[in-house]
Amino acid sequence: MFIFARLNVPGCGIIVPFTDLSMTRNCPWNHRLDPPNSECGDRETRLRVTFQGAGLMTTAMLSLLFYLTALSGAAALAQSTPAEVITRGQREFQQSCAFCHGPDATGARGPDLVRSAVVAHDVEGNLIGEVIHNGRPDKWMPPQRLSSEQVAAIAAFLHDAARKALQSARVPKEYPLAKLLTGNADAGKTYFNGKGGCKDCHSPTGDLAGVAKKYPPLHLESRMLYPRGPASTVTVTLPSGERLDGRLQHINEFTVALRDSSGWYRSFPRDQVGVEVHDPLSAHRKLLDELTQEQFHDLFAYLETLK
Amino acid sequence: MNFRAKDWFMNSADYFSNRRKFSATRHILALLALATVCPGVLVPRLGAQGLSPELLLAPPTNAWPTYNGDYSGRRYSTLDHINASNIGSLTLAWAFRANVAIKSTPLEVNGILYFTTPDNVWAIDGTTGRAIWHYNRPSEGDHIGHRGVGMYGDWLYFTTPDAHMVSLDAKDGSVRWNIELADPKLGYFSTMSPLVVRDHVIVGVSGDVTDVPGFLESIDPKTGTVQWRWFTEPHPGEAGSETWPKDSDAILHGGAMTWMTGTYDPDLNLLYWGTGNPNPVLSGETRPGDNLYTCSIVALNPDTGKLAWYFQPSPHDVHDWDAVETPVVFNAEFNGAKRKLLAQASRNGFFFVLDRATGEHLVTAPFIDVNWAAGIDSRGRPIAKPDSAPRPDGTLVEPASDGSTNWMSPSFDPQTGLFYVSARRVFSVFYLTTEGKPEGWAGRDANVFADSTVRAIDYRTGKIVWNHEIGNGAGIAGIMTTAGHLLFTADNDENILALDPATGKTLWHLHAGGRVENSPMTYELNGRQYVVMAAQDTLYAFALPLTASAPPLKTSEKK
Repeated sequence: MFIFARLNVPGCGIIVPFTDLSMTRNCPWNHRLDPPNSECGDRETRLRVTFQGAGLMTTAMLSLLFYLTALSGAAALAQSTPAEVITRGQREFQQSCAFCHGPDATGARGPDLVRSAVVAHDVEGNLIGEVIHNGRPDKWMPPQRLSSEQVAAIAAFLHDAARKALQSARVPKEYPLAKLLTGNADAGKTYFNGKGGCKDCHSPTGDLAGVAKKYPPLHLESRMLYPRGPASTVTVTLPSGERLDGRLQHINEFTVALRDSSGWYRSFPRDQVGVEVHDPLSAHRKLLDELTQEQFHDLFAYLETLK
Repeated sequence: MNFRAKDWFMNSADYFSNRRKFSATRHILALLALATVCPGVLVPRLGAQGLSPELLLAPPTNAWPTYNGDYSGRRYSTLDHINASNIGSLTLAWAFRANVAIKSTPLEVNGILYFTTPDNVWAIDGTTGRAIWHYNRPSEGDHIGHRGVGMYGDWLYFTTPDAHMVSLDAKDGSVRWNIELADPKLGYFSTMSPLVVRDHVIVGVSGDVTDVPGFLESIDPKTGTVQWRWFTEPHPGEAGSETWPKDSDAILHGGAMTWMTGTYDPDLNLLYWGTGNPNPVLSGETRPGDNLYTCSIVALNPDTGKLAWYFQPSPHDVHDWDAVETPVVFNAEFNGAKRKLLAQASRNGFFFVLDRATGEHLVTAPFIDVNWAAGIDSRGRPIAKPDSAPRPDGTLVEPASDGSTNWMSPSFDPQTGLFYVSARRVFSVFYLTTEGKPEGWAGRDANVFADSTVRAIDYRTGKIVWNHEIGNGAGIAGIMTTAGHLLFTADNDENILALDPATGKTLWHLHAGGRVENSPMTYELNGRQYVVMAAQDTLYAFALPLTASAPPLKTSEKK
């Protein structure tokens, strides 16, 4: 379920999709690619992106790019810099600057340059070059005699480092399984078949056969905690005593809506009908309250064995 | 305004001292130039249509002159024309469509509403919803949302996505001056509604994707010059700096933004402000210690910016749980004595009550399920479980970084003595993804489930008195209560709700056709009470039908 909002980036009135939060239960936001900030209540409706189609994904990624460009023009410029230049810049930096600023430019005796105002304002080395050539005598930094090509490469490296810090607020789509696999699969299996109650609904040779091949690790982890679907069903009892079963479309304190067996949408005022909701995910909801961190990782390790 | 930070330096302290000089010089020049052609500009004109700062001490019912309606932040109106007995006949008075999601609370002064979205301010007629003027200033920076304007005399104060503050003439939206609060290239922006206290415009900043220091500052309403600036991290060596590592630059990059409007007690002459999360956001590795004054409630003198006391709801936060939620001010009985209290339902899921004169801690209690706390320490601060911190393999935490509540306004109703909060049960897996020195966010959380509820809290104990579920998803509508025994808010299903504040029972609702993302406000004009809320891009004003049994108009108001 997507609704559309205009992302207010000047000069680019792009339309970005985001999921309607009222549909969160049907569309959990498994991976949040949106650049965050503290005002996260707002974040919910700004760029909530789910993996529901390559087209939308592309739009979302483009939006993200636009956003980051707007946020930090200089840093984003580095994205178009060839990797070779960045690598060369890193090499130059390590030779000439790392002694004080650290090999990754995050500071040592000298300041952290990844989050420096000079780098943030620099355009293709114009400010960085000045500091390199003139030094900072007030702060014991000697001038360096580097060519304009060397300066440009160092600037590209620093902008790339700043961009990476700026984009650190996301879990990469290809997050390595090795990082996630810290649990004990045997303990997970015991939990699955015992305390967790997973086997009451699932089977490693049935619905979960090959599940680790079916989903990328992060998706599997998220689905393990609270999957997308299946939808709840509902039984509505009319004043006449007639009972209607269907897939739940919608429920709040005023209205219940279902799609009946013939495929028709029907809605009823809550105060005139009896309502019984059957939520197949209620056990997952309970699990969220009960899982320890250890059980969480053990269970995931077990599911990853179901190739 | 364009300038290059050519001569500016890598150290943020250098940066700010330079900014200050720059700003002051520029404004003196600008004002001299203006004064030459327009001598009146330096003199505040508090004419019949303006807003005297004294009025903010006791706003009449025909005005909603600050973000929260008054200094207390309780979002309680003494208006009772619309009340529990006639709410059934509430109807639409007017609607105004902005074509962009509205997250601000309008001010209402002398019959005119002023409200905002990022880059935009509108003035509209409070009785008809017709536009009077619209100001637009495209800008770079984060356009996540906007809370509203502040007002002093004839002038408005509007913060921007590129961390400027623009002062507008309230009559026509023309620009008086425009100052830069902070450097947008460093990741600063501003969304908050400035708070006017006498001759101070108190303004804060946002931005935590980069590791920059937060601050709150006071601006001269006439000239735009900085009166004081209070940094949310102490300078190295000052009190509080011992809560940061020595021999590192962590304290200079500690974050803690001031992105929500605070409250004020005129008798104590203290401002109360919440501060945001420390940076790097999800990693505490490079900043061992409590990290004052991040995730804190602070009391400041509005004339000097000096800290009177602080309380820290989330010491050493690693979950983005800003303590910026409105610090609500009220006087009430506590353990048999009349006390000057301050209460906050904080993003970390805990409700706090403090003595606002001294900062003495009185109550700490969770207002919703949380899984991260092991208990409460002797100072009333929740103790984080060691295994609740983000990890590379993920940590399942309730609440998510979005929090158990957030910027949506709470309310305190003196008639019921209850504190109301829009609360969420939201689970998320926090991944620490960074390698090497953590900078910026250093990771991210991925939400797995959320549902929401409106809750009434007994401020004396923190116990939940009633609970009103508002559905799946993370609710973000604010709350207002009125003397008409009504609580206005919205559910997660696009319904605007009026509840009984004593019981939580629904008295009225309307499917608004859009999600409510702002906090309600109310005012009275020509004897008619209006309740204003926004659903998506449309501002709706509700009132009793003109023919319904509204109280008779006063003679002076009859037309």
